[in-house]
Amino acid sequence: MNFSFELAIFGSTIAVLIIMGFLLYFFVQDYRKSLLSKEMETAPKEQANAYLSRIRRELSFSAFIMDDSKSIGIRYLITSLAFFFIAGLAGVGMRISLWYPNPSYLTPIQYNILLTEHGTLMLYGWATGSILGLGYYLLPSLLKIKKDSLGVLNSIMYWFFAVGGLLLIFSKSTASWYFYYPLTDQLTQAGGGQFSFAALIGVLFILTATCVASIIFLKMIFLDRDEKIRISSMSLFVWSIVATAILIISSAPISMIADGMVIYDLINPIYFTGANSTALGYAIMFWFWGHPIVYVAVIPAFGLIYELLPKYVGKPVYSYSSGVIALLLLMIFSGTVWGHHLFNSGLGTLWDMIFSTTSFIVAIPSAITVFNWIATIWSGKVKLTLPMMFILNAIVDFIIGGVTGVMQSDVGVNALIHGTYWVTAHFHFILLGVTTGMAFAAIYVLFPTFTGGRRYNSAMGKLHFYLTAGGTYVMTIPWALGGFEGMPRRVAGYFGIFQSYQDAAAIGGVILGIGQLIFLINFVYSAYKPVTISNDNILEEASS
Amino acid sequence: MNRITPVALFLVIIIAAVGTFAYFVSPSSGSSSQTSSSYNSTMEITLYANANGWNYNSTHPNPTLYAKTHVLLEFKIIEQDNFPHTFTINPGPNESQSNAFINVNIPAIPGTVVWVNWSFSSPGLYTYWCVVHPETMVGQLIINSSANSSSSPSVIQGSNLGNGSTVNSVEYWAHEEF
Repeated sequence: MNFSFELAIFGSTIAVLIIMGFLLYFFVQDYRKSLLSKEMETAPKEQANAYLSRIRRELSFSAFIMDDSKSIGIRYLITSLAFFFIAGLAGVGMRISLWYPNPSYLTPIQYNILLTEHGTLMLYGWATGSILGLGYYLLPSLLKIKKDSLGVLNSIMYWFFAVGGLLLIFSKSTASWYFYYPLTDQLTQAGGGQFSFAALIGVLFILTATCVASIIFLKMIFLDRDEKIRISSMSLFVWSIVATAILIISSAPISMIADGMVIYDLINPIYFTGANSTALGYAIMFWFWGHPIVYVAVIPAFGLIYELLPKYVGKPVYSYSSGVIALLLLMIFSGTVWGHHLFNSGLGTLWDMIFSTTSFIVAIPSAITVFNWIATIWSGKVKLTLPMMFILNAIVDFIIGGVTGVMQSDVGVNALIHGTYWVTAHFHFILLGVTTGMAFAAIYVLFPTFTGGRRYNSAMGKLHFYLTAGGTYVMTIPWALGGFEGMPRRVAGYFGIFQSYQDAAAIGGVILGIGQLIFLINFVYSAYKPVTISNDNILEEASS
Repeated sequence: MNRITPVALFLVIIIAAVGTFAYFVSPSSGSSSQTSSSYNSTMEITLYANANGWNYNSTHPNPTLYAKTHVLLEFKIIEQDNFPHTFTINPGPNESQSNAFINVNIPAIPGTVVWVNWSFSSPGLYTYWCVVHPETMVGQLIINSSANSSSSPSVIQGSNLGNGSTVNSVEYWAHEEF
């Protein structure tokens, strides 16, 4: 046989990769051993993992090979942060393109691609991913879990999540984040995008991972926690994870079934175009999950506010039991309001009235929550640190976003503002102020632990906060005003009369983008400062 | 904390964000980036969707269609049986779903009319077919170049927006005719 140069290169590349894989594995095993104590080195994996999950853990890429709960949490946090910046850049790109009424540097199809990727990656990648990450990272310490089993399953589900996100990116879908049926089925750029089936498979992967992680959270909370922690004295963050997990398990499968039916419809359209079914069937099945997902994004953020607020006020939460009841009521009511997304789709007057009523009722647990926070702040003395500033901003943003949301629950008002930027303003107040703000607050609180005893640069952190909070207002208030005048959302161009609103929003979007860049620079810059404080943090305080 | 971790994290996030943004705005390869071109005149073509073949009940099932470039072809597709169909067009003599630039579903309710409007810019041989019944429902579409293609079009399809991009004009709507 002749000597083949290509084959030699190919073979040696494979050999080097295998050797590197082995080396990586042994390096990580070495790192794992260095974390374990003497008596734990010979312990079974379940107990060793439980020990690893309870100690303070630094940020490390070794987490991608280890499978204890804290490692899984770090994996989700790193990945969701990457998704946040990908989707954020897409959002800023859309804002800049909307400076002029006619599509400027983005064609309508490019705009639709960015719109879809911004929506899907922010909701599924960042909101869901960061919640899963914080849940996996914080629950073992808060509950002092006795054993940490199912690590392999956690690991596989993380890879489902990551591959699902990559499929969403690859698909370049233009069908927007709900993948409505007749649009998704048009596998052309003018329709849902050439590869929108890949986006559907990606969503299915992410929802599978989310459902399994929720079941594991419930197992961790109700079966594996330390006996000394009674169910009536679990921290409110744990209760918010309970509400979230039940919400996910009870509603996500409906949307997964609908996605599966649409994937079948791509091959043989029978489900949503058949003689006895309509495209509205898909919309109903989607919104049965599509509304709870936004509560999945905010309820853990409420839990984090409950968890952090007493630490900065110096007094316990004003009313623990009403906090738990409000979280559980939010969970129950949020499953019953999905029809308010379809007020103008012809469900019928009776259904519209039912969903309108349930949507108004959601205001009650939300108000209980807000008054609980205000009463807590009232009873103590506020220490205005950086995470506390994020908390106060989250409360204000939630009040504004909540009030604008209640206005939409009215069927008549909804007919006026449906499909306008008013709705975009409403949910960006909540998702930017509460979900994103509280995720950043948690990252700032955990920063000394992540970096092994380093302090973040306070000035840069405050700049990040002011740009984020200010950018939110500069961007969303013009949206709300223009939306009430009828400025339509999800389009690459707009009528010239709305230009002042859109230009202001573009400035706000750029401010927001610069703020997040400062966060990233601060993170890296501060991680190289000398170690000055202990690696303790107030979020996990209960465990040590 | 490993000394490389923060810088690696920074680089991964920045490269991922910028790289995916470039990927999102990059033009797609393949013929699916085709857009309907400008046109001078219109032409209506009626096709009955039947699982046995397009226009199965007429004298010429699966007819070979002749048309010219820069003519807006208005396909009027009428559902004839109770089966789901699609109206799919791709360039070349063979069926290829990955190259299809038109792929429209026809609801399985007899009498439903679906309109598909398209104007071809380049002459050639195209295949029109149904994804569900590729064996029976397939025909040829031959596009010749029009004589006056150099003259400026009298009507612009879609609105000419921004940097010369045209709004894609697959428009279709359905109504029932009993």
